Amino acid sequence: VPGGGAALRLCSTRVAQEAINKPVIDRIIRVDHAGEYGANRIYAGQMAVLGRSSVGPVIQQMWNQEKHHLKKFNELMVAYRVRPTVLLPFWNVAGFVLGAGSALLGKKGAMACTVAVEESISEHYNNQIRTLIEEDPEKYKELLQVIKQFRDEEQEHHDIGLEHDAEA
Amino acid sequence: KMAAAGGLRRAGWRLWRSRAVVRCQRYPPARALQASAVLRRASDELKKEPLTSSSQQHFDSPPAGHQPEQEPQGPHPSYTGQGGQESEDYESEEQLQHRILTAALEFVPEHGWTAEAIAEGAKTLGLSVAAAGMFHSDGSELILHFVSECNTKLSKLLEKEQKLVQLGEAQKKPIDEFLRDAVEARLRMLIPYIEKWPQALSVLLLPRNIPSSLNLLTSMIDDIWHYAGDQSTDFSWYTRRAVLTGIYNTTELVMMQDSSPGFEDTWRFLENRVADAMTMSNTASQVQSTGEAVVQGLMGAAVTVSNAETSRAVR
Repeated sequence: VPGGGAALRLCSTRVAQEAINKPVIDRIIRVDHAGEYGANRIYAGQMAVLGRSSVGPVIQQMWNQEKHHLKKFNELMVAYRVRPTVLLPFWNVAGFVLGAGSALLGKKGAMACTVAVEESISEHYNNQIRTLIEEDPEKYKELLQVIKQFRDEEQEHHDIGLEHDAEA
Repeated sequence: KMAAAGGLRRAGWRLWRSRAVVRCQRYPPARALQASAVLRRASDELKKEPLTSSSQQHFDSPPAGHQPEQEPQGPHPSYTGQGGQESEDYESEEQLQHRILTAALEFVPEHGWTAEAIAEGAKTLGLSVAAAGMFHSDGSELILHFVSECNTKLSKLLEKEQKLVQLGEAQKKPIDEFLRDAVEARLRMLIPYIEKWPQALSVLLLPRNIPSSLNLLTSMIDDIWHYAGDQSTDFSWYTRRAVLTGIYNTTELVMMQDSSPGFEDTWRFLENRVADAMTMSNTASQVQSTGEAVVQGLMGAAVTVSNAETSRAVR
C-alpha cells in the first residue's frame, strides 16, 4: 500500500513581504531588539546606583540614545512582523542586575562594563552588516542604514566609556 | 532519450497524467515502488504518451528493489530548461497535488478524510485513481491542505475588511468583537465537514503531523492578531497569542459537540471566552499598577525610616 506520500509544501498564511529572506531578517531584528532592550536595562541599573554621581549625566545621555535605538527596533519589529524573543523577561532582570552590579563596583566598574558591552555589540552589528551586504545590499538598504548608524553610535558609547574609565 | 523513455515504461513507471505530459526534473524512485501495485489497475486507463522528460540520473537505473531513502521534501522544481519541449499547460507536481486535494474535499463528507475521497477527487479531474497513491492513507495531506486553504481564506477576508476600514467605508471594530468575528468566521468553514472533523483533529495530532499543524495554527493566530492591530513587542506578544489559541481550540471542541440550531451555543461560548480574556487582561494591568504603587509606597517608607535613623544617630 502506498505510504511514502508526496511532500506537500503547506504554506503558512503569512503575507509575502517583497520576497525578502524572512528567516534571516527575522533573526537579525529579533536579536537586535533583544540587545537594545538589554542595553536599556543595563543603563537603567547603572543609573539606579550612579544616577546622582558625577557620571550620572553621561550615563543618562547614553541611555537616552539606547532608548531611541529600542524605539526604532520596536517599529521595525512591527513592520516586518517579527516575534520578540521569548527571553525578554530574563533580559529585563539580567540587564538591570548587570548594570547595577557593575555600578556598585564604582564608576570605573560601570564604565568598564559599558566598554565591554558596547565592544561586543559593535562587533555583532558589523557581522550583521556583512551578512546583509552578502545577501543583497539594495534590497536591505534601509535596514543596513539603520544598523550602520546604530553601530556608529554604539562605538561612540564605547569610546566615551574608555574616556571615563581612564580618568575615573 | 527515447531509449530511456522506453526503458521507463519497461521499468513500470506509473503514468498518472493521462492528458498533458508532466515534466519532472526528479522522478523519485519511491513512486515506482508504491506505484507498481496500483499500476496494474491503472494501466488500462493510461493513454500512451511517452514521458519525454529529460530527467537523467533516476531514469538510468531501474528502481526495482531499490530502497527509497529519502522522501522528496519541499517543492519540486519541474522546469528542466530543456530547449523547446515544454507544453503550454505546464504544471508543477505540487500544483497538481493541490488541485487533486481541492477536488477531493467535495467527497469528504461522504468518504471522510481518506484515500477514497482523494481517489474520487482525482477522478473528477480526469486522472487515474492511482493518483491517490501519492498521498498518505490516513488523509494527512488532505486535512493539512484543507486547514491551509481555510487559513488563506481567513487572511484574505481579514485583509479585505482592513482595506474597507482604511478606506473609511467600515467602522473599526473593538478588539473583543474583532477576535470573536474572526474566530467565528474561521470555525464556520468547518461546518460542511463537521461530521468528519473529529477524525481530522486526531490525525492532526499524530506526531508526524504536529510540526505542520502547529505551524498552521500559530500562523493563523498570529494573522488574526496582526489584523486586530496588535503591535506588542514585549512579552504580551506571547500571552495574547497563547490566550487566543486557547480560545480557538476550546471553541472548536465545543463546536464538535454542539447540536444547537446554527451552532448558537458555540458562538455564545466563544463570546464568553473572549469576554473572559478581556477581563483577565484588564485585571492583569490593574494588578500591575497596584503592584507598582505598592512598591513605590514601600520605597518611600524605607527612605523615611532610614532618614529618621540617620537624623537620630546624628543627634
